[in-house]
Amino acid sequence: MTIQVERLSKKFRIDQVLNSLSFKLEAGEKMSIVGPSGSGKTTLLRILAGLEIPDQGTILLEEKDVTRLSARKRNIGLVFQQPLLFPHMTVAENIAYGAHMNGKKTESTVKDLLAAVNLTEASAQFPAELSGGQQQRAALARALANEPEILLLDEPFSSLDPNLRQDMRYWVRDLLDKRGITSIFVTHDREEAMLMGDKIGVFHEGTFQQFATAEEIKRNPRNPFIVEFFDHHLLLNDQQYVHIQDIQFSEPSGPCITYEAELLQTTFRFSEKVAHLYVKEFDEKITLPTPDDDLSKHIELYIPKDAVQHFQSDGKCNDEQ
Amino acid sequence: MKRNHLPFYFIAGLLFIAPTLLLLVQSFTAPWRFQRGEGLQFQLNSWSLLFSDPNLWSATLWSLVIGAMVLLMNVFIGLTSGKALALYSFQGRTIVESLLLAPILIPVLAVAMGLHLFMIRVGLADTWVGVVLIHLVPTVPYSIKIFHHAYSEVGRPLMEQSQMLGASVIKQFLTIELPLLRTSIRSVTFLTIVISLSQYAITAIIGGGQVITLPMIFFPFLDTANASVMAAFSVWFAILPLVMYIVVEGLLQLLPYSRKPWRIQT
Repeated sequence: MTIQVERLSKKFRIDQVLNSLSFKLEAGEKMSIVGPSGSGKTTLLRILAGLEIPDQGTILLEEKDVTRLSARKRNIGLVFQQPLLFPHMTVAENIAYGAHMNGKKTESTVKDLLAAVNLTEASAQFPAELSGGQQQRAALARALANEPEILLLDEPFSSLDPNLRQDMRYWVRDLLDKRGITSIFVTHDREEAMLMGDKIGVFHEGTFQQFATAEEIKRNPRNPFIVEFFDHHLLLNDQQYVHIQDIQFSEPSGPCITYEAELLQTTFRFSEKVAHLYVKEFDEKITLPTPDDDLSKHIELYIPKDAVQHFQSDGKCNDEQ
Repeated sequence: MKRNHLPFYFIAGLLFIAPTLLLLVQSFTAPWRFQRGEGLQFQLNSWSLLFSDPNLWSATLWSLVIGAMVLLMNVFIGLTSGKALALYSFQGRTIVESLLLAPILIPVLAVAMGLHLFMIRVGLADTWVGVVLIHLVPTVPYSIKIFHHAYSEVGRPLMEQSQMLGASVIKQFLTIELPLLRTSIRSVTFLTIVISLSQYAITAIIGGGQVITLPMIFFPFLDTANASVMAAFSVWFAILPLVMYIVVEGLLQLLPYSRKPWRIQT
């Protein structure tokens, strides 16, 4: 099922949370929405789900306008940050709940979903008897049991520990792919956004600063916010940036720009040594892979002039994608 | 870690079970005289005297009817007001909350005197409906407070989850709200029945002697100074909330997704 959002706006008192936001998602596509905490991502999801009413704009599901339709009638699934399992129901009852409410037969669906989320043995248990990961898997199965046309996920792994979170990311992505579900995944974690979505909408100031694939965002960031939000580049000024991999510790042969940096710390990432540097010129901290074992406290960074990139558009991403 | 339940059993035994057992024993025995060396003398006179009162059964029935009506109205007003106060934000919420609790700050007798005039005008004086209404004054504020707290505990997200899964307002109320408010409904049941049963003065004022409830025939018995008769009456009095509790508990078991008593969550 396709979802099309046109010029959606929402204001809470003086805060413009959504500012004429538009995008379109084809059937089966997976999209991630990433942005800083408090930027309004959850409000966007709540509006799509029908839990909030937008001030302006329309939401079309397969060409049908559902903007004013209540959440109960939209057939959109929403998995919240917390599992929110009903504490007085068993796992199986929780999963069957939505289907029961809609008068659908549930027995085989619940069985299949319990198997899909590896909770067959816990089907008769109550939510309080499950671990955090099991609870979130049960919540996901419950959302899927209703056979939603669109599935919205609002940072569903944020309360899990890092290892479990990583496992759940792969597992959920795989499940969504297998079932061909159109989904929108909200997160503030950039890596999670890349993992969970075919396309990423970078959300800030009520709109998508860029709506593209992870590859495109890395190759061609649209504006300074994108550059600062992701770790792929160093922002030189409002018009220019440079890819992190083009920054060098030794002077290149051609013309280059030089910046002084202070070494704050060295750590390891994926077995590679990385230097955490403070670049005084930009009042910015950056992280660079470094082959050098003995970096001094004060070092010089070299950027070949031909590696300097310019933002190509007006920096806005307001039109339908 | 396994909890030690011994202190709980000890306190419950000392403060609740022992006094009840003593009351039961006293109702079936002659009044005890300490240091006389006499044993317990079993008798049924106190119960015979109690049942000889011609108004006992009608007063018991009226107490039950009035108590049940007071409970129903308390549950209705408490659920709706408590939900609004807990889940919706609106201007003047604090003022509304204070106003709803105000009746317990004013002596209920003063309220009854004022309301008596009003009830005479509208024809509710000397009727059981008037008695039900006046019993709401000392009970409703507590019910609102209890349900307000309960709805705050359940929280809005759980309701939204049920909405997202397609539950209608009624289905959401029956499958999510009521089952999760079970403990509060039990508390409100006991509280309202016990408060309603204890009202002598306001029942006499508004009922005008036409509506006879248990306290109206219980209070004259206080003159007897016969501990056995008083014990029998107290036991009879205590049975009413218990009956009401069992009825309410039975009704709660009919709710969807009711947990069987033998399936206790760990």
